[in-house]
Amino acid sequence: MTTSLSTEAPTTSAPALEVAGLTVTFPGAGPRGVGDVVALHDVALRVEVEEFVAVVGPSGCGKSTLLRVLAGLTPSGATVTGRPVDPARGRDTAWMPQRDGLLPWRRALPNALVGARIAGQDRVVAEARARALFDAFGLAGFERAWPHELSGGMRQRLALLRTCLPGRPVLLLDEPFGALDAITRRRMNGWLAGLDLAGHGRQGGAGRAVVLVTHDVDEALLLADRVVVLSDRPGRVVLDLPVPRDGLDEARRELLGALDPQGRSDGST
Amino acid sequence: MLVRHRWRRLVAPTVAGLVLLVGWEVGVRLSDLPAFVLPPPSQVAVTAVEVAPLLGTDVVTTLTEAALGLLVGALVGLLLAVLIAAFPWVSDTVYPLVTLTQTVPTVVLAPLLILWAGFGLLPKVVLVALTAFFPVLVAAVTAMAAVDAEHAEMVAGLGGTRRHQFWLVQLPASVPGALGGLRVAATYAIGAAVVAEYLAGQSGLGVFVQRSRKGYEVDQILVAVALVAVLTGLLFLLVDGLARLATPWQRPSSLSLTSRPGRTPA
Ligand SMILES: Nc1ncnc2c1ncn2[C@@H]1O[C@H](COP(=O)(O)OP(=O)(O)OP(=O)(O)O)[C@@H](O)[C@H]1O
Ligand SMILES: [Mg+2]
Repeated sequence: MTTSLSTEAPTTSAPALEVAGLTVTFPGAGPRGVGDVVALHDVALRVEVEEFVAVVGPSGCGKSTLLRVLAGLTPSGATVTGRPVDPARGRDTAWMPQRDGLLPWRRALPNALVGARIAGQDRVVAEARARALFDAFGLAGFERAWPHELSGGMRQRLALLRTCLPGRPVLLLDEPFGALDAITRRRMNGWLAGLDLAGHGRQGGAGRAVVLVTHDVDEALLLADRVVVLSDRPGRVVLDLPVPRDGLDEARRELLGALDPQGRSDGST
Repeated sequence: MLVRHRWRRLVAPTVAGLVLLVGWEVGVRLSDLPAFVLPPPSQVAVTAVEVAPLLGTDVVTTLTEAALGLLVGALVGLLLAVLIAAFPWVSDTVYPLVTLTQTVPTVVLAPLLILWAGFGLLPKVVLVALTAFFPVLVAAVTAMAAVDAEHAEMVAGLGGTRRHQFWLVQLPASVPGALGGLRVAATYAIGAAVVAEYLAGQSGLGVFVQRSRKGYEVDQILVAVALVAVLTGLLFLLVDGLARLATPWQRPSSLSLTSRPGRTPA
């Protein structure tokens, strides 16, 4: 009764992103491995082209660490084992940090253009697109504001804009809507769904893949084709659930059950 | 609150200065010190008015040397900082040598520079630049090394190369630090120019001091001392203003955190 998009799609072509046997350990304070923090343990994740994957899990389970590894960043001081299987086309991810990473010496618009500049895009074209996105993101009128003049949610939206603007094939978003109120969050969700990143609507769409880290199970169900649940630390994949087109309630129950194995999963609505 | 801050920042130092001057005046008069040892402030003031018309060219010379030296020093300091940040081998080879140059006393350096560059403007500018570039260099290098990891990661996560890191993060992050160094350098600049003139110059406040010393005119020397202080203050205010203009994103926080409470609007 659940029809999954990801199982429908043939998985013969090269994935947008793949990692296998990933274990990340942060050195502890003690000598010789005493007190080491194992953030991720033997995690495998494969993201197809045009697929939208949400990653959920309790705080501190290694979601941000996973995203960093996928972005090609080595978490400072960490030991990383496992295969970040690089797709043939090489580095083409755009990563949005959990904290916005806005540059305090650039106004909002130049901050939004950082990604496009790194991607070597034409400045005039990128700026025109950025101005249009300022509208769509509810940031119109704040093009010349300094980052410290923006609210937390506005900063997040600006950081998301900066990440999406270069049009990289793989977006890695670390809790992009964590600081947003319910209404703005819904609008941003709508925008992200409307991006048609996974090309649901049209054939050969944007051709983009997204990995989204979130705390919000409903957000994950709304946006993603597949939800990956990580366990408490050390993080490992405990559930890899294709999102059904209907029967969302059951999927939600299953997700909440995986997130909270001891607790009763019936009470939540 | 505001009144109290104003009082502290303006009235308190003025009153302290006046008390000192009055004490000096009374002390000199009571103790019968000869004027060629320590003239009373009233006599210094009279002398200041007398020599003021003659000091114009000297002040212009000193200011020119200090400003040019500061500019050259700041540019060289920033450039060196950039090279040190960009190429580790420059850091390893050049930084120790540069630090060594700062151990050479000015009185030794000045005659050498005059020997090599003549008696004109050039050796003075070089000397001021040599004292000015170091604080700028150190402050800029420190700022570049302490770049926020969050910003560097953001650039890397968007596919940025080392070149992007440098232009987007390291260089802009070093600007406030470099300007802080420039503020420090600005307080040395006039003094360094005066020392260079004193040792070998044709015009400038240092030459004026040298001439006054030969004539045992202590009152004139004191006029020059006061003038150096005033010029240094003006130069500092100028650099401070330029620094504020160059880092507009810092305005609100730096205003409320540094000791400038008097500037909050009433
Ligand atoms: N740079 C680091 N040095 C040491 N330990 C780290 C570092 N980064 C993360 N950790 C540890 O790794 C674990 C996972 O961290 P991570 O940031 O990936 O969690 P998260 O799932 O993103 O949590 P949250 O939902 O709260 O953002 C945590 O226990 C954390 O203490
Ligand atoms: Mg996180």
